[in-house]
Amino acid sequence: MTAKLTKINEQEVLRYLGCAQAPDPELQEKISCLSEELIAVSVPRLVWRRLPLLPENEFLLAGEDIREILKDCSEVVLFAATLGVEAERFLQRAQIRDMAQAVILDACADSAIENVCDHFCEDLASLAAPRFLTDRYSPGYGDLPLSHQRVIFDVLDVTRRIGVTLTDSGLMLPQKSVTAMIGISDQPQKHHSGNCMGCSMYLHCIYRKEGRSCDKH
Amino acid sequence: MTNTEFTILDGGMGTMLQAAGLPVGMSPELWNLTNPEKVTEIQKQYVQAGSQVIFANTFGANRCKLAGKADVAEVIKAGVFAAKEAAKGTGVKVALDVGPLGQLLEPLGTLTFEAAYDIYREIMIAGAQAGADLIVIETQSDLYEVKAAVLAAKENTDLPIWVTMTFEASGRTFLGVSVSAMALTLQGLGVEAIGFNCSLGPKQLMPLVEELRRWTDLPLILKPNAGLPDPETGVYTVTPEDFAKELVEASTLGVTCLGGCCGTTPDFIRAVCKELEGVSPAERPKLEYKGICSSRTIAKYGAVHVIGERINPTGKKRFQQALRDGNMDYILARAVEQQDAGAELLDINVGLPGIDEKEMMVRVVKAVQGVVDLPLVIDSSNPDVIEAGLRVVNGKAIVNSVNGEQAVLDRILPLCKKYGAAVVGLTMDSSGIPDSMEGRIAIAKRIASACDAYGIPKEDLLIDCLTLTISAQQEQAVETLAAVEYVSREMGLGTVLGVSNISFGLPEREHITVSFLTQALYAGLSFPIVNPNQDAIMDAVASFRALHGYDDRCEQYIARFAGRKTEVSAPTAAMTLSDAIARGLKAETAALTREALGSMDELAVVNTLLIPALDRIGAQYEKQEIYLPQLISAAGAACEGFEVIRTSLAKKGDSAISRGKILLATVQGDIHDIGKNIVKVVLENYGYTVIDLGRDVPPQRIVETAIKENITLVGLSALMTTTVGSMEKTIQALRASGHQCAVMVGGAVLTPDYAKKIGADFYAKDAKCSADIARSVLG
Repeated sequence: MTAKLTKINEQEVLRYLGCAQAPDPELQEKISCLSEELIAVSVPRLVWRRLPLLPENEFLLAGEDIREILKDCSEVVLFAATLGVEAERFLQRAQIRDMAQAVILDACADSAIENVCDHFCEDLASLAAPRFLTDRYSPGYGDLPLSHQRVIFDVLDVTRRIGVTLTDSGLMLPQKSVTAMIGISDQPQKHHSGNCMGCSMYLHCIYRKEGRSCDKH
Repeated sequence: MTNTEFTILDGGMGTMLQAAGLPVGMSPELWNLTNPEKVTEIQKQYVQAGSQVIFANTFGANRCKLAGKADVAEVIKAGVFAAKEAAKGTGVKVALDVGPLGQLLEPLGTLTFEAAYDIYREIMIAGAQAGADLIVIETQSDLYEVKAAVLAAKENTDLPIWVTMTFEASGRTFLGVSVSAMALTLQGLGVEAIGFNCSLGPKQLMPLVEELRRWTDLPLILKPNAGLPDPETGVYTVTPEDFAKELVEASTLGVTCLGGCCGTTPDFIRAVCKELEGVSPAERPKLEYKGICSSRTIAKYGAVHVIGERINPTGKKRFQQALRDGNMDYILARAVEQQDAGAELLDINVGLPGIDEKEMMVRVVKAVQGVVDLPLVIDSSNPDVIEAGLRVVNGKAIVNSVNGEQAVLDRILPLCKKYGAAVVGLTMDSSGIPDSMEGRIAIAKRIASACDAYGIPKEDLLIDCLTLTISAQQEQAVETLAAVEYVSREMGLGTVLGVSNISFGLPEREHITVSFLTQALYAGLSFPIVNPNQDAIMDAVASFRALHGYDDRCEQYIARFAGRKTEVSAPTAAMTLSDAIARGLKAETAALTREALGSMDELAVVNTLLIPALDRIGAQYEKQEIYLPQLISAAGAACEGFEVIRTSLAKKGDSAISRGKILLATVQGDIHDIGKNIVKVVLENYGYTVIDLGRDVPPQRIVETAIKENITLVGLSALMTTTVGSMEKTIQALRASGHQCAVMVGGAVLTPDYAKKIGADFYAKDAKCSADIARSVLG
């Protein structure tokens, strides 16, 4: 399975920008242009591993929430994905050139990394079939601490394999990167699409702060 | 280590240690202290398999990775001792193995170049003290980090240095470093051997080896993985025999230093030795290319490359003001603009009375290479400034300049040699600029022999035959051209020329400048220093390239001119400044501001036109008639208007209009700064001066700056719940200092209640709101 970035969802970008209600044709035009440029410069990368949920891998289950999610599972998949340093530089340069564009691009990049993760999950689902996948769950969600990022990094050798680094405070660079865990189970799994699980915007979502959710979830 | 005999290295260490019982997740280097005999045992297996150089188990032994676990120097010493034990009595050499720090360096990351150097210095000193025979810096993907490591090794030990970097099949590292940039930079820095490790299998690395040997004549190292791992399980499946066959295949390209990385074991090394029996190293072809580079872009010698001259305060009031204000954004915008206009290198000159040129050179070089990807020219007459600039350059730079004075040559050429830079030699000396071509050539020859004496390769000397103004010394133009021709054709050296000086004092200067440029290019000029923002100049360069075969099938010429029409760009009569800002039209806003300055003074334009226009936009934003992108777009346009005002004021020698100073920072631990940068643009366009401390800023630095600059409003940003704690600490530190100031906070996870709880005076829900807060605090 390779990392794929095929599409940036315009509706999602509008939502991230807080202007889904009143889309303006000029803005939509800009989103579509910038999306194309972003897809062209990005070099998405991916690393993953499938591990049995045996006692020796207990250290992966940091917190009640992840235990709950994986309770019917015999295996867990760890993965890390990134848009790469190429996209990061493109975003930084945009901030020097034109801040308005940079803001739109930033939202496009959030949608782009979602797209990479979605592709991975689809591919994984077909690989795992006829078994079932849980939602993807990342450090920082619920009671899974952000410090768990380091554990995933060590197991996957993320820095060496895809060039993403981790700061002391547990944040990833390049910024448009995601790590997550997904369970594989014999039983069908409930998907928590209503409460934002699995969204890469979870930690800094403007809707969630106001106690709402965007219309995606 | 030579090009004429093979040296066998070792194979993978991590998997061997895990097989010997190292727990998953534990730093392998800790075993140097707790289980040194097991480390030695593995290395003995490599010695027995035929390795002639073994790497000590010190790959991750650095302060970043061992923090709180063990003392770095002790771990390194124990690692080198363990390896020496395995090599005892065999003549096998022990390398101090130095891996990456695992932190991204500035500007993408937050680790400074100087901090990286310091971390590496500790490693190098410990390794040398423990008796390592050489230093191998490996598995690197950032050339800048490698430079810090190489300097740390060179300046603190006498050991030979080898470097291997990790590439993707695309021929770039994760950070975009090209094979050619790696070769040019590291050969310049004086390392003994270079190559690739990890990354891919030997077969996939072959095309990269072919590229590498075009750019360097240093001995080549190849230490690949055992093919590609199964992504699902991480297991390597290639057999030792297949690996050995593929690796030895690479020796036909002239690689002499062979070993293995991830997934390889002593069996692999044994197989390689067997496969090498009866094989002798292939002869290396002649070096094909040389040049100048950033970490990602090359300016190859033997072609024409434009050096952009705009980062220079000489005669530019606005630029001088930006330097005095430490306004990096202004300087960076000049860098980006020149790259967009087609500059291929950028000259950096920050010499201005009253500013610390050395400190500014470092700041500007770092900032510029963060946003543009062009090789740099360090332009100063002060050797300390030159060295400071060369040190922090990422890539191989040009020093501008030396002249024929022996004292200058003796002071600056050793710096060029040490940092592997090219150098511009001006054809003048203590008696001034010779009037004749012969006089200038004599100086060029003197400089050339001085370079030779200091070991600087001939092609890294670029001669500047000096352009004199024809309105003052008309007869000199032909002397300059003749000298360029001689230096280029007879001496075989590259040439540099600051072109625009030719037309100083004349009307419609462009005609003379372009004509002189074309003639100089014909005479052999390779690096014209020009203003790339002038279309006529870049048009002339494009035409020259097409005429002289530098532009294959005229493709670049066609791309430049096809579909170009002369623009008629007067703003329509009906448009007001307010409309232009609302629609985010930058050029029109600038033009209309200029027009307004014809009948009003600067302050009046700001107060009666620009600010009210922004207020209208702000009100629309509050009513949700427009959204963030349009708000920022309007602010960006207004910025052009303010720029016209600042330029106008700078020309009169007035200081800029400011409604007060605001300090902004993204708090310690947080690296997301787009929100803070949006706020900055909006505040600046309301006429406030913003001191931007960047991201990941420690509380102490914020407090110190607030006191030093007498700041009355501090804006803090944090995007993550985990970093709001450091926002609270910053506020506490500000209060504890006794400095009177208001604090506004913002960021995705903050709420008004939370802001109050952590002791902030204001909660800024968005950029517009921050401007309202600024108005209430500062007026």
